[in-house]
Amino acid sequence: MKGLIIKDILCLRKQLHITFFSVIGTVVISVMFVLSARFGNIAMAGERMLADNQMTSTDVKNLGVQVLVLLMLLPIAAVGDMTNVFTADGKAGFDKVAASFPIPIRQRVLARFMTIFAMFFMSVTIDTILAAVLSALTDLLSFGEFMGIILSGASVIGIYGSLLIFFCILLGFGKESYAQIFTLLLMILMAFIAGFRTIKMLWLVITEVIPEPVREDGSSFVWNTLDLVKDKWWIFVLTAVCISILSYTLSVLTAERKRGVI
Amino acid sequence: MDEIKNVIELEKVTKDYGDFKLDNISFSVPEGSVCGFIGQNGAGKTTTINLILDVIKRDAGEIRVFGESVDKNSADLREDIGVVFAEMGFHEFMNGKDIDIMMKNIYKNWDEETFFGYLKRFSLPSKKKCGTFSRGMQMKLQIAVALSHHAKLLIMDEPTSGLDPIVRNEMLDIFREFVIEEDHTILLSSHITEDLEKIADEVVFINGGKLVIAGNKDELLERHGLIKCRKEDAEKISAPLVVHKEISSLGAEILINDRHAAARLYPDLLTEPASLEQIMLHYVSEMR
Repeated sequence: MKGLIIKDILCLRKQLHITFFSVIGTVVISVMFVLSARFGNIAMAGERMLADNQMTSTDVKNLGVQVLVLLMLLPIAAVGDMTNVFTADGKAGFDKVAASFPIPIRQRVLARFMTIFAMFFMSVTIDTILAAVLSALTDLLSFGEFMGIILSGASVIGIYGSLLIFFCILLGFGKESYAQIFTLLLMILMAFIAGFRTIKMLWLVITEVIPEPVREDGSSFVWNTLDLVKDKWWIFVLTAVCISILSYTLSVLTAERKRGVI
Repeated sequence: MDEIKNVIELEKVTKDYGDFKLDNISFSVPEGSVCGFIGQNGAGKTTTINLILDVIKRDAGEIRVFGESVDKNSADLREDIGVVFAEMGFHEFMNGKDIDIMMKNIYKNWDEETFFGYLKRFSLPSKKKCGTFSRGMQMKLQIAVALSHHAKLLIMDEPTSGLDPIVRNEMLDIFREFVIEEDHTILLSSHITEDLEKIADEVVFINGGKLVIAGNKDELLERHGLIKCRKEDAEKISAPLVVHKEISSLGAEILINDRHAAARLYPDLLTEPASLEQIMLHYVSEMR
């Protein structure tokens, strides 16, 4: 199985280069942002907006948090997509070769999941180091809050990654784009079921065509959601673990039905 | 006397795809032999190989490899099987070193030294991407992989198709070398009968998903014969001896299943030995 993980990582070599540059970019931009927010132009802009009553101090803080959250999720997002592996395998006809290996089908499927989790582990480790640095430089978020956001983000992308593997196995070679679409649709559906009101409010805030009281109500939902991401990260992690186990089980059943032609 | 062990055994194996059916196939491959698996394109050779490797599920019948049913532990059994496909199957960006790293983490008995020894012997650069290799080089790479984990059984699906005669001969030499070891066996699928005539001990011939002949190659060649005669003489030959008759304006060519009997019965007709290709062509024509 280790051999297959090595092969998958070789397939993701190009993607790893992108991840490497996104990590470097994230580190540089995050540190610059934090320094600027504390001592530079962003801090000055924030002060002016506060003086002009354009924003409250909470808004300024939350804006900073949002920027950091987005930056922190970049390295994780860069490794969440395994379609390149499926495409490369299909193009080479590797499934036939893999089927001749002394590896049971369930382990071949597990190798796919292990690859994606190995990549996640790598990016979460990098983000953890970054979180330690940023939390020392800024008072926007504590290290614990940073980690909550990182783990929640990694969990959501982990759910995407594991569902994507299932759909790629189910649909077969050449249908990777459909697998991505189905995965996204399923995730949106799941999110709607899990928090319809939250998403509705998020949408209202984004569209900005709604009356002020409703917007304020919506804004509070945004911050509540952010608080949920920061504080209740374990809900996301638990959901990701459950969905990954379910996706793995379904993937094995599908792959066995297809006699390992995955 | 030691009992002959069969490395591969198929008993009444059936696989129905709807538009194609592999129908009630039974044959065995004895240990230490080279078994030529002959058939036209689309005859069912690859399907049979996939069934043996347990890549596809059969509808009926029994398949045993090394005496064990493939249902139970096909993954473990594959530790001793080297497989070579018509297409390479390795990613184009991989080089010999990448393949070595991958394989040593897949096969328990992977022998790095043997692998690089084969690469050197086949003049395959270990640092060059295999996507840039010629077809012959890609086949050699697959063979190097198949031989580097001390497999006892080599299953090859059309390994020599599309190769020039020199490379094909080189390959056959490698296969001969492999079966020098008593417990090494080869199942070689091909529609190039010339290659099989050179190397095979046993022959299994399938057509349209049905088994046509299976047995010792020399016995098969010894038994079958061709009679080339006038149309009128063709009518005289006893029907049970005739496999297929091809009548043209120039005369008749008849494949017979017992050339020694035919020579005795019809001494005035010239009975020639038939090649595997001629036997295959006549059987296919008869089945049509």
